[in-house]
Amino acid sequence: MTMFLQVALDGILAGMLYAVVAAGLTLMWGVMDVINFAHGDFLMVAMYVSYWLGFLWRVDPLVSWVASGAFLFLLGVVTYKLIVSRCIGGKSPMAALLATFGLSMLLKNLALNRFSPNFLILTHTLLEGRKLTLGGVIVSVPQLVTSLFSLAVFGALYFILEKTRTGWAIQATAMDREASELMGISTEWIYVLVFGIGGACVGVAGGLLPSYLAVHPNMGTLFGLIAFVIVALGGFGSILGTLLAALLIGLVEAFAGFYIAPVFKYVAVFAVYLVVIMVRPKGLFGW
Amino acid sequence: MRSKWSVLLSVAMGGALAATGSAQEKVIKVGTLFPLTGPVALAGERCKAAVETMAEVINTRQPGINLPLPKQPGILDGYKIVLVNADTQGKPDVAKSEAERLFNQEGCYAIIGCYNSSCTKPASAVAERENKIFLAGCASSSALTERGLKNFFRFCPTDRTESQQYAEYFKALNQDFPGAIKTVGVIYENSEFGVHAANEASQACKAAGMTVVADVPFNSGATNLNSEVQTIKAKNPDAVIAACLGGDYTLWVRTMKMMGLAPKAVMNFCSGYQDPIIAKQLAADGNFFLGSSGYSPEIAAKYMKDVAPVEALYRKKTGVEFDSDSIQEAVALYVLAMAIDKSKTLDVNKVVTTIRNTVWDSPLSLGGKIAFDANGQNTRATEIITQLKNLNYVSLYPKSYAEAKVTFPFPGWDKR
Amino acid sequence: MNELRKGWMWYCLLAVLAALPLCPGLVGNAFSGHVLVLVLLYASMAQAWNILGGYCGQVSFGHSVFFGIGAYGAGMAVVTWHISPWLGALAGAGAAAAVSVVVSYPCFRLKGHYFAIATFAIVEIFHRLFMVWDWVGGALGLDYPMLPDGWASFSWAKSKVGYYYGAFGLFLLVFSVVRWIERHRFGYYLRAVREGQETAESLGVDATRMKLRAMALSAFLAALCGAFFVQYNFRVDPPMVMSLDMSMSFVLITVLGGVGTFLGPLLGAAVLIPLQEYTRAYLSHLGAGVDLIVFGLLIILVMVKQPGGIMGLIGALARPREVK
Repeated sequence: MTMFLQVALDGILAGMLYAVVAAGLTLMWGVMDVINFAHGDFLMVAMYVSYWLGFLWRVDPLVSWVASGAFLFLLGVVTYKLIVSRCIGGKSPMAALLATFGLSMLLKNLALNRFSPNFLILTHTLLEGRKLTLGGVIVSVPQLVTSLFSLAVFGALYFILEKTRTGWAIQATAMDREASELMGISTEWIYVLVFGIGGACVGVAGGLLPSYLAVHPNMGTLFGLIAFVIVALGGFGSILGTLLAALLIGLVEAFAGFYIAPVFKYVAVFAVYLVVIMVRPKGLFGW
Repeated sequence: MRSKWSVLLSVAMGGALAATGSAQEKVIKVGTLFPLTGPVALAGERCKAAVETMAEVINTRQPGINLPLPKQPGILDGYKIVLVNADTQGKPDVAKSEAERLFNQEGCYAIIGCYNSSCTKPASAVAERENKIFLAGCASSSALTERGLKNFFRFCPTDRTESQQYAEYFKALNQDFPGAIKTVGVIYENSEFGVHAANEASQACKAAGMTVVADVPFNSGATNLNSEVQTIKAKNPDAVIAACLGGDYTLWVRTMKMMGLAPKAVMNFCSGYQDPIIAKQLAADGNFFLGSSGYSPEIAAKYMKDVAPVEALYRKKTGVEFDSDSIQEAVALYVLAMAIDKSKTLDVNKVVTTIRNTVWDSPLSLGGKIAFDANGQNTRATEIITQLKNLNYVSLYPKSYAEAKVTFPFPGWDKR
Repeated sequence: MNELRKGWMWYCLLAVLAALPLCPGLVGNAFSGHVLVLVLLYASMAQAWNILGGYCGQVSFGHSVFFGIGAYGAGMAVVTWHISPWLGALAGAGAAAAVSVVVSYPCFRLKGHYFAIATFAIVEIFHRLFMVWDWVGGALGLDYPMLPDGWASFSWAKSKVGYYYGAFGLFLLVFSVVRWIERHRFGYYLRAVREGQETAESLGVDATRMKLRAMALSAFLAALCGAFFVQYNFRVDPPMVMSLDMSMSFVLITVLGGVGTFLGPLLGAAVLIPLQEYTRAYLSHLGAGVDLIVFGLLIILVMVKQPGGIMGLIGALARPREVK
């Protein structure tokens, strides 16, 4: 029984991390119908920002997530302005996806070139290595803290989208761009904001990760792929859907990893995605 | 008028002299083929730097370096070694086409590479077809020297000999601590290297009378290793053998700590364990792990005193000391150069015969000697089983090299 | 440009390509020979993808699965069963077509990005399964023994001329198939489905059957390319052939050249492959990853400026300028 609880807890904690990475993506997809292929690499950039702050000036990840979040907000805005804005609305539906694929390649190799392929980890962070033991179940404190932040991010997103005028404007733009413009909403600013917020979500997650994960240029790839699957599974545009889908994916990964075999972890994740999507083609909660 | 003509004439003569001068320039091009980008780019860069260091040592006579070398700088009466570097990106198809390019476009005489065994296979096949020499310093898959190639030489011990050494060591531990190690678990990255190493390890342990109770492959670059470590914990083997490269090693150690997995002994194949930077990053968490090293600064200080000045040059390029893998690549260039010089010819068949029929003095190799069998394997390749304690690799086995007693069993994470 | 001129230009291009190995030093054993073989191979791969992605409008990122099945077909024929790689290639292609139909039938219900993500998921599943499947060699892959030179074993040790003509044959096959598609009803049905599936169905086109046929054909041809790839590299393992990166190659080359156009795949390959190979060979000394940085920037630039790819660029240039 303890093992079952341990595996379940690990799955939930992993799922929360995936959730906050996927949060930004679901906004981008829902509002602008854009898949940001570089999303996983945004996470990698955020981790590097947090790592260098920690390495050079001993700023703990518990603090540097603010800087990562802000930096990624800017990166999201710049990505939108320079790349995505020129790709959407055109004839090719894949233009934005492929352009962000190019961006992903660019970011990965810039990191490789500037920071070397070294796996970099921070030593002596506040949370490193701490754990709680409840019953027989071991909880990693850094992962727990990341999950709490993730919940907070989701709470903030939900609040923004549901309770503020800007949030309603975002939802309106997602539903019908032209009608929103007729209503006086500047959809261009909405798009900028959405990319910025999406980047910031990933930035916060990435800022906290150096507490327990090593950063290297290729680390964003799998996270990005899982984020796509989560967003599609939850149904694009649905914040709640993303959270639930992420938890589901985290649990599937953990249970498949332990009860079937660790090497089938991700096979199970992608297989579950395919099964669900066949039954509900628009995802669990999609519009 | 006259001065203008004399200037022109002297320029023309100077040009002619320079032209004949460059025609006299004696150069042997050697290609280096390593993964300079991709997940193991760090190891690739270090291997390349090691070969560059050795080329520098051979071409110029640096003061303080005590390797047996020809009297004049260079080899074969003034030939200099010029390196042509290429990147495999860790991909076998790229390795193959780069090998072809190095031989055919760049005119390389030989290639030293490729770190990844999966890349070394096609690249060395190209060399064999072109009748050129291929030297593998640290590619460890035993399959490489089972192909019957005549131009291929490999310097490091194979996964098979390493596994056999691990099994022997466990048996030795069982003599000092009776009945300590009966069951073994294997965890490895699901790649050509990992699968091969794990197979060899399992077979060697079985042959030594132990039972393999856990066999856990993991996807390299995974987001977490929780399921893998939990699976091992559930099976509770006495000893664990791990094959993790680079950064996965860090994740492996930290996950073990978090989950409280502490088998009696944790033995590691190359790379992650013996990487000096990773050891520093792990700090105290890396203590008490076991692994095999063909080189470490501690081993060198005792048994390979001539390494230090060469290492100083290497450190200028990379900022770190040699490690087991990179030093083999330097040795590879050294042996190639010595073989060419000894054969007094660049004829490939003669040089290959010389390499195979000579017992080489190699101050940069543990044991000091290198000799190849008919398959191209260095039969004198030696490794020492070490234990990492406070950033020092303490030698444990074979007994002749032991400098301290092993800390056994592996102390629990709470008890440090 | 009328049909007659287009046809004449196409045959001229084919003649030039067929005659290239006669230029001394170009193909033989040179690096340029390697680049030319890859150009023809990737052009064939991209054109195979184009059938489904360009003409039929179903953007699939899963083609490396079929490429890989074809590669393993040939690989297992040579390494495991010691029979001719031609048989293995055909068997692999047939298997790929079958797998493609089985896998895509449920997926075709999905629209837009959902379909694309589903194809990602399929590649990842196959990649990871092949990595643990011992029958096909798992992570160790299959390594070729030294084969005798010649067409029977489809392997040449030193000269690239044999490979060049093999790739050229493949190129001819795939491009002829697409040429046929362009002129016959099947092609019109595909394009109808691309432009508007519901509309096409209302006019009596069985969209699902058309899509499945396009998928099967596309997969079959992609698998043949995979078989060539393994014969060329003498080794196959899952990361070489079944990866997401390989899938992206299929898509990128076609889109860069001009998706849904006849010459797009060839133009895309002719630009991208030399760029990829030469920047890696000659720029990688500048530091890690510089060639890929250049590559990434190029992709961004093209997608931002001219999503129609090279064909789009040509079209824009050929359009008569407005009178100011």
